[in-house]
Amino acid sequence: MNTNIETFKYDNRIVRAFAIATVVWGIVGMLVGLLAAVQLFFPDANLNFQFITFGRIRPLHTNAVIFAFVGNGMFMGIYYSLQRLCKARMFSDWLSWFNFWGWQTIIVAAAVTLPLGLTTSKEYAELEWPIKIAITIVWVAFAVNLFGTIVKRREKHMYVAIWFYIATVVTVAVLHITNSMTMPAGLFKSYSMYAGVQDALVQWWYGHNAVAFFLTTPYLGLMYYFLPKAANRPVFSYRLSIIHFWALVFLYIWAGPHHLLYSALPDWAQSLGMVFSLMLIAPSWGGMLNGLLTLRGAWDKVRSDPVLKFMVAAITAYGMATLEGPLLSIKTVNSLSHYTDWTIAHVHVGAMGWNGFLTFSMLYYLFPRLYNTKLWSTKLANYHFWIGMLGILFYVIPIYIAGVTEGLMWKQFNKDGFLQYPNFLETILQVVPMFRLRAIGGTLYLAGAFMMAYNLYRTAKAGQFEPDTEAQAAALEKVPVIAGKPSWHRILEGRPLFFTVLATVSILVGGLVEIVPMFLVQQNVPTIASVHPYTPLEVLGRDIYIREGCLGCHSQMIRPFRSETERYGEYSKAGEYVYDHPFLWGSERKGPDLAREGGRYPAAWHYNHMDDPRSTSPGSIMPRYSWLLTQKMEVDTLPSHLAALRRVGVPYPAGFENGPAQKDLQAQADKIVADLKLGSVKADSDKEIVALIAYLQRLGTDIKSAPATAAVK
Amino acid sequence: MIYNIVRSILREAENINGYGLFSFFLFFGFFIGVLVWCFLLKKNYLNHMGDLPLDGGERKNLSTDNNQSEKI
Repeated sequence: MNTNIETFKYDNRIVRAFAIATVVWGIVGMLVGLLAAVQLFFPDANLNFQFITFGRIRPLHTNAVIFAFVGNGMFMGIYYSLQRLCKARMFSDWLSWFNFWGWQTIIVAAAVTLPLGLTTSKEYAELEWPIKIAITIVWVAFAVNLFGTIVKRREKHMYVAIWFYIATVVTVAVLHITNSMTMPAGLFKSYSMYAGVQDALVQWWYGHNAVAFFLTTPYLGLMYYFLPKAANRPVFSYRLSIIHFWALVFLYIWAGPHHLLYSALPDWAQSLGMVFSLMLIAPSWGGMLNGLLTLRGAWDKVRSDPVLKFMVAAITAYGMATLEGPLLSIKTVNSLSHYTDWTIAHVHVGAMGWNGFLTFSMLYYLFPRLYNTKLWSTKLANYHFWIGMLGILFYVIPIYIAGVTEGLMWKQFNKDGFLQYPNFLETILQVVPMFRLRAIGGTLYLAGAFMMAYNLYRTAKAGQFEPDTEAQAAALEKVPVIAGKPSWHRILEGRPLFFTVLATVSILVGGLVEIVPMFLVQQNVPTIASVHPYTPLEVLGRDIYIREGCLGCHSQMIRPFRSETERYGEYSKAGEYVYDHPFLWGSERKGPDLAREGGRYPAAWHYNHMDDPRSTSPGSIMPRYSWLLTQKMEVDTLPSHLAALRRVGVPYPAGFENGPAQKDLQAQADKIVADLKLGSVKADSDKEIVALIAYLQRLGTDIKSAPATAAVK
Repeated sequence: MIYNIVRSILREAENINGYGLFSFFLFFGFFIGVLVWCFLLKKNYLNHMGDLPLDGGERKNLSTDNNQSEKI
């Protein structure tokens, strides 16, 4: 037995810093979400100010709540629990603070660039390449600090929470790097290295696993630490937690293609995504039950303790979301739910219930301990719980109703075999009252967050902050502390490097099986002879489409259903997207699909529609884009954009960007201006609206321009 | 027999190209392996692991909340 007892100190300063950041960014992220929600029934809430228009602040909201609120909450919980589980101070205070300030700088950079329209358009990965590089550096610093702490630990065994932290660190790094492969075309502009269907697969492999490994695995680790602490009893079944971990990390990575069901993605990839998503129910519910059963014999505490109350609700929300997610992955269910608000309701059960409530519970747990005092008001925390719960219900129930209504209306045929609701706008106007109720739900949830902020502030004022907590533990021995023959697993989790390698292999298998064939097997993306690269003016228009976040409301992927081909035209083919860097399929329809928009309306209709959508579509909830009518196109950057596109594989001839492109652009702009004149609209050829119209008029027209029999090579 | 049933179900999925079968058995093997592994773990080890969060090595006991008096 080792008698060499060492005294050391836990760093509480870094925990407090992340805790404050969590509260501040949480409130900011929710406020932005509320503003976006209001614009969906009151489009003028953007005050005709481009920087706060829905398309630009939707990614700001998602980034703020995922990476700023939950991200800081994750660091807060990990920095607190890791030190205690390892019985060691963090490996390096310098790295801890580098992690903190680096992360806050990235958040501020996102808060500035996204409203400016500087975005890659890839969901939850919108930040442009310099910020992506900064994320990589800060994440590596976090990883070094985490592994350094594990290596210098005084506790022989790595508790299951640490495994979840390791899986998070490794997988987020792999996902972030793979999905961030872009070709810079300027300081804040880049084009994805992948195109079309391949870009879509990589993006949703990333997007799904951002949910899995940023919003789920670290929070499961935190659940396995904070729940036993708050309930003052060990986890119900440690065995179950081991199965939970390995099954989850192995399965999650395969599920990404369920975001692309019935799209142009090859069927084998869709089937894999669906099957593995369904299998995810087992480990997810194993984890949920393990959490809830930990409270066996302690349910009386739940009645009075807000920390446990929030935890129970969070774990239940996790169970609900992880049951619903696999069900939504079933192709038939997905055919109804995809592109509707159903998905929005689903993610908000996870975000507000699981992540939000678990974060609140950790904050209520930590502040009294960091400040050596009692929580200022348990009553106020309980009020927070109930107002937050009401907020969630008022948010998700109307949005579930909206989602199902949209899905059913889009698919409804009348007895003569025609679409019952051929005008898309009609289906959206039907659910606008639900959008209003949703905003009430969001307001209630936000009000709860303000109550918490005040409660925590008063707690801090009442107590005295303890920057370091002194602790004692025996130095780590070379031989196992527990008598008996060491088991396989004890050997494994006693060697963090070997453990990390195994966890990495587990997550890589799914990614490799799905993604590698997509790049190697040519027949996965059949080429179409009549599909050509975008013209220079269309490239500029596409850049504007990306900048304004149009894909937040408009998809560009017609699924092979009669209800869709009747409404939009021929279903989308993989070969139509081979020059789409990045792909712009979107995931949500608040407006109609635009994959076959080209030629549907005259140029003047688009002009008037952008100036005031309600002039052409009475009742439309689309914001005005009047600034496009006055702002000049950025033609100076065109050469660098075309050169970057060539580098990622678009076959523009060498030297095209130096002269021929400008002539081509001017000729096409003049033609658009002439088309506008036919509709009694007078416009200058150098305005952004001209480029956007050129792009919209091109969409989906390539396959119409060639005979069908000769189209597919 | 189970193999044949699984194979026939997965073959019905169009263009599965063997990936479904490969993936299913990969996971099946992995999951069974983890299951067996878990049930071979010793009780005293599991108890020790389960208790880890409850002992952070801190030197003092604090009553920080009306309802909580455990070691922080």
